Amino acid sequence: MNSLKYFIINAIETMLRMVPFPTKTGVIKIGNPDRNSPVFLTCNFHLTVERVKRALKGMDCYLLVAKSKGINVWCAATGGLFTHHDVISVLKTSGIEELVDHRKVILPQLAATGIEGKIVRQKSDWHVIWGPVYAKDIPAFIRNKLKKNVQMRVVRFPFVQRVEMAIAWAFPISSIAALLILPFWRHLILPLSALIWGMSFFIFLAFPLFENRLSARGKRIGFIVFDFGRGGIQLALWGFFLLLVFGYAAAFHQVNANFILRWSFITLVTTLLFSMDLMGSTPVFKSSLHEDRLLKISIDNNKCKTAGFCELVCPRNCYEIDRHAHNTTIPRADYCVQCGACIVQCPYDALFFKGSDGKILTPEKIRKYKLNLSGKHLVKVG
Amino acid sequence: MSTFILMKILESAPSRYDRGIKMLTFGGVEKAYDNLVAPVKKGDTVLDIGCGTGALTMRAARKGARIKGIDINVDMLDIAKRRINDAGFSGTVEFYEMGVGEMDTLKTASYDVIMSGLCFSELTNDELRFTLKEVKRLLKPGGYFLLADEVIPENILFRVLQWLIRFPLVIITYIFTQTTTHAVRNITLKIRGIGFQIQSKKLSFLKSFIELTARKPEER
Repeated sequence: MNSLKYFIINAIETMLRMVPFPTKTGVIKIGNPDRNSPVFLTCNFHLTVERVKRALKGMDCYLLVAKSKGINVWCAATGGLFTHHDVISVLKTSGIEELVDHRKVILPQLAATGIEGKIVRQKSDWHVIWGPVYAKDIPAFIRNKLKKNVQMRVVRFPFVQRVEMAIAWAFPISSIAALLILPFWRHLILPLSALIWGMSFFIFLAFPLFENRLSARGKRIGFIVFDFGRGGIQLALWGFFLLLVFGYAAAFHQVNANFILRWSFITLVTTLLFSMDLMGSTPVFKSSLHEDRLLKISIDNNKCKTAGFCELVCPRNCYEIDRHAHNTTIPRADYCVQCGACIVQCPYDALFFKGSDGKILTPEKIRKYKLNLSGKHLVKVG
Repeated sequence: MSTFILMKILESAPSRYDRGIKMLTFGGVEKAYDNLVAPVKKGDTVLDIGCGTGALTMRAARKGARIKGIDINVDMLDIAKRRINDAGFSGTVEFYEMGVGEMDTLKTASYDVIMSGLCFSELTNDELRFTLKEVKRLLKPGGYFLLADEVIPENILFRVLQWLIRFPLVIITYIFTQTTTHAVRNITLKIRGIGFQIQSKKLSFLKSFIELTARKPEER
């Protein structure tokens, strides 16, 4: 029964994945925790809370749900809607301080883009421990005495997540398309929806095949940036879908100019729609929507004291730290998704972003505005 | 790594906040704020909880009070700072990036007036309880607590009416400004619960918007 409920929640909220789903904040008891049980914290996106609760099943611990406006950990933290204020608030107001004797709270690693562990420590007695990226690694993380191996630190885009993203794209797009054509072409709703779902699944499932050809420095047409810049993959995709359409038409003897024109147009628009921010829909690439925000992670080795926070919070394992030689390098900088977590957490301000125009984005500015920078530029006095 | 729609919403919110709130209250929020600051006197020390873009802060500054404005939204604080500077009150007003959970770092009995406009409705129940406890601690005896916020009407008929009117309005406002609010429940009761005396209470817009003046009792 519980499993069925869990499945239904997952199905519905995956279809509406782009919409915030706030849930109740506060303390959740898992198992039979005592005064020394670990304390975990997550955002108040309903789906996340359900999944974390499931991952913690069998443990005795407390789960704190902090306010993130119903948005998932990574997006909310990076967009400035899930910060140390929300963490401090739930630590002090939820009553958790009366339930445990220790003052250690385990946070999801991806929250490191917006939550400053240092400030949590200053303004409360609590000590922040950066947990694994995925809740399912929590039991192993505990067995490993709160140490993370590389597998627990990096984001991946496995089959299940790709299916989720395919559904998250297909459902809203096909719903809107269906509403739009409802008055004119009612009979087309079913085939069009089938096409949109098919294309979405094809693109996300075939992702490993063309992943290496994606480029953040894509070509811009109007306000649309295509992730398949030089490779012209969207053309190839369009061609593939056209073939399907023609195949269907030939099989059912429906070949006429009207049919071909209409479906060529529909497949083109849908291909463009899906290729618009494909990279941004994955956890392993930086969104290419804002070319002006393509930044390069850089290190000032004079300031670096190899504290190692960068390595601990980097979801792409970009860093290499040589503690004997007191040297930090970024050999895998190409994998950087520009989440900014390393910059926010570095206690010595040794990391910063460099823009393509050579402009430097300081840690101070990123900590204050997060990476929601254009919001800053758009601010007007109302 | 970001999702387009989500980022757009996040990015454009602060600059549209003021407009959003005006739409949600049919412009009534301006007048409510004017009335609310009536007890503020020249030289008073004032705390503005969730000062946002500084709407209440500005009104208290004009009356010659010294104000501390706290909020967790840095973009809104930037707007508030600019407004206050432009109006020439930078000497008497200071802003801090601070959430209600951090109010326990402020000094006991150090404010003549504590005010808050459209902030309580954004708090969780736990935060609300904590904030009221802190308000009681931070106010000087005889000090004023001023609140303007959206509330859930106590009468069921008004509650239904409010919902019917609010629902389309919330959708329209959200589409244009990505701003929305959530109403508070039983706020008068909660304020009486911390031992404050309600001095005046005005409900408007189908009893869904409250302007409330409460007072911390003098020490005996």
